Amino acid sequence: MDIAVKKKRNYNLIIGLGITGFFLLLAIVGQFWTPYSTTQMDAMSVNLAPCVSHPLGTDNFGRDILSRVMSGSGMTFLVAACTVLMGAVIGTIVGAFTGYFGGWLDEIIMRLNDILLSFPSILLALIFLSFLGPGTMNVILALGILFVPSFARIVRSEMIRCRELDFVKSAKVMGVGPVRIIFAHILPNTKVSMLTAAAIGFNNAVLSEASMSYLGLGVAPPLPSLGRMLSEAQSYLFNTPWYAIAPGVAIILIILGFSMISEGLRAMQR
Amino acid sequence: MGTLFNVSHLSIGFAENGRMNKVVDDLSFSMDEGEILGVVGESGSGKSMTALAAMGLLKPDAHILSGQIHFDGKELLSLSKDEQSRIKGNDMAMIFQEPMTSLNPVMKIGRQVGESLWLHTDMNKKDIHQSVVQALADVGLNDPEKLCGQYPHELSGGMRQRVMIAQAMICSPKLLIADEPTTALDVVVQEQILQLLKQLHREKGVAILFISHDLNVIREICDRVIVMYQGVIVEQGRVQDVLEHPQHEYTKTLMACVPAAEPVKDRKNPVLTMEHLDVYYRENNGGFFKKKGRRRVVRDLSLQVYDGEIMGIVGESGCGKSTLAKTIVGLNKDYTGTLSVDDSVRPQMVFQDPFGSLNPARRIGWILSEPLRLRGIKDKSERRRMVCEMLEQIGLDESFYSRYAHELSGGQRQRISIGAALLMDSRLLVADEPVSALDVTVQSQILRLLLDVHRQRALTILFISHDLNIVRRFCHRVAVIYLGEIVEMADVKEIYAHPRHPYTKLLFEAAPGGGRQPEKLPEPEVPEADAGGTDGVRSEGALTSGQTEHTCGCAFYPRCKYRTPRCQSQAPERINVSADEKNPHWVKCFAAAFGRQ
Repeated sequence: MDIAVKKKRNYNLIIGLGITGFFLLLAIVGQFWTPYSTTQMDAMSVNLAPCVSHPLGTDNFGRDILSRVMSGSGMTFLVAACTVLMGAVIGTIVGAFTGYFGGWLDEIIMRLNDILLSFPSILLALIFLSFLGPGTMNVILALGILFVPSFARIVRSEMIRCRELDFVKSAKVMGVGPVRIIFAHILPNTKVSMLTAAAIGFNNAVLSEASMSYLGLGVAPPLPSLGRMLSEAQSYLFNTPWYAIAPGVAIILIILGFSMISEGLRAMQR
Repeated sequence: MGTLFNVSHLSIGFAENGRMNKVVDDLSFSMDEGEILGVVGESGSGKSMTALAAMGLLKPDAHILSGQIHFDGKELLSLSKDEQSRIKGNDMAMIFQEPMTSLNPVMKIGRQVGESLWLHTDMNKKDIHQSVVQALADVGLNDPEKLCGQYPHELSGGMRQRVMIAQAMICSPKLLIADEPTTALDVVVQEQILQLLKQLHREKGVAILFISHDLNVIREICDRVIVMYQGVIVEQGRVQDVLEHPQHEYTKTLMACVPAAEPVKDRKNPVLTMEHLDVYYRENNGGFFKKKGRRRVVRDLSLQVYDGEIMGIVGESGCGKSTLAKTIVGLNKDYTGTLSVDDSVRPQMVFQDPFGSLNPARRIGWILSEPLRLRGIKDKSERRRMVCEMLEQIGLDESFYSRYAHELSGGQRQRISIGAALLMDSRLLVADEPVSALDVTVQSQILRLLLDVHRQRALTILFISHDLNIVRRFCHRVAVIYLGEIVEMADVKEIYAHPRHPYTKLLFEAAPGGGRQPEKLPEPEVPEADAGGTDGVRSEGALTSGQTEHTCGCAFYPRCKYRTPRCQSQAPERINVSADEKNPHWVKCFAAAFGRQ
């Protein structure tokens, strides 16, 4: 007697990957080709509503919004990817060693971690940026440093969990060195939680980059950035709402995509 | 006597990957009033499922596909929830395997035991308290008044199991379902719980459905037995008949005894020597201002393990045998005294829990290649060839190379662990309870594999176990450890025939079928009987912190029934009671010394 039971599909992951893939494609294309130049101003077509030649309309300088969104998402992806990568690599190294060896170094680094975590991250990013000065590289650096603690915590807790397990003990008995135990034996076990953390980190990075640019500390003009577009659109919100809607929706969708991916990954873990 | 409990054509299934997986298939059996019926089978045979179905405790993803369960004339499955729960609290009760988790940790014992009286009767507070105290006294617990105000974590495993039995018995049920009630307990405590169940059966006439994987326990307590295999009954009948003349193939494999080791030729080269070894255990409480505690777990231990022998180490949990194992393989460096391991043997360890000992994120091929990488074999295809050869040798095949540990059964994982140790070219295997987490049939397969590699490679094995039946057949020599001290050590034959230390005697008497006469039903000659206490609580509490650090005198003094004033003030030295100088029989006991003179 076989009773058919439906196997649940991971819609979160599928849809999330779809949305993110679409924007990634848009962003990559946007680096090489856009319908119009992203920086060329055109006095003849200022504040145009969406039409056939400008599907998302134009801004107050007559620049095509679709082109700027494409290019701007590319910048957003670049900043987010670099920040997450930086946070993950440094965080993994810090978390792995402190978690595996423990001791006073662990205590000190973790308390530093706590200090970093106890401030609102946007405030810290602002402080860093006011020291470093605005610019794409500096945004990556500032956000990257902010992301180190969260990754370090995840890796550290996995290290602490695993280092007491029998498979690690058995590797020790064989004579495997600590560095190899950390990176070849324990680290693969953190894969799923790291992926989830990276997806959440991506979200935060996208949001933070947008906020930084909105505040004028991020990507320098005239390069397009979703956050800067929002801030510029502010003054025209009632006359040309599409100017704000296009980058706003782009940010929402990118974040939705990553949220669904992280949700889907978490479901896979179960 | 009439039929009390009747299961007919019961089928239970789990939905899994779109298919219905039957775990109990058309099961029928019945039980008379006041009978003790044993159900034996390995994990996954559906024995617990049947009990859970009767109690209405099945998980939501388990479905009862067909069948009926009659209890005392009523069909349980068709009753409403209310009626079911009335029967369950009053006439049917269940005790579980895990005494640690089956009691509510935040509820006082008195409240917990009396709960079903609050629910099912209109007794007032005072009467309930009276009944609770009586129930606790009935299960042999001392000072029930005080116990009522305590929390579960203040009690030992055996005491918790007693509390659970008291809780189950308080409404005087007609049927008690006991699901592996003694599996998590040490031999001595197990024996006491079995005695208690028998006594309750005798005095109160309760019928017991006793589920266990251990035939020796079944043999000791049951009248009739059902053997289950893959959800069906393969054999049933009187315990003696079934166990002595098994008909079905599966029962025969269950009965298939532990493989026996061939006698060791001569003991010449010690590969492992320990002299006056004291091992400490660091208690690390964590936190910034942690206070470091250091406890001596192994004390003054002297032992030589010779090339090519299988040395057994037995003792209760908490006696320090695992700590000793870890120290030998180098996982614990905090010791004083001599510990010398021959460099050429590369001691490796096989752990108890097959589910923790393999890396879950790596494939089996990678896990088995790791020892080869460490040995400096650089060529990838050479490593692969050696791993595949090893997979064959440990009774698996090449297809395992690309699998993950979670795809393997417990027995297969233990094989991989053994294989990894062999690939390390180890000649001393420290096996810490390597089969105690496995089913009986798998146990004997793994033991056979260990014996095979022992023979082929003249492997020396240090075999740590609490199972005296296995040790008797599997090992050449045995050391009995009590509170970190070797109290007796001799050849297997010698020690099982003439145990000299009171603790060894106590262990052997308690082991079901492990004593010298398996048919013997030990009548209340429980050793505590003459030690003053009314029951075994004294002996169960023996491994509490108070006694772990004794200052002088014999460690076994508080539990010993042959104790003298001298034992309290003076610790006995190790003496040889054997006439044969080649095969010494060491005992640490004054009484044993006198016995010789």
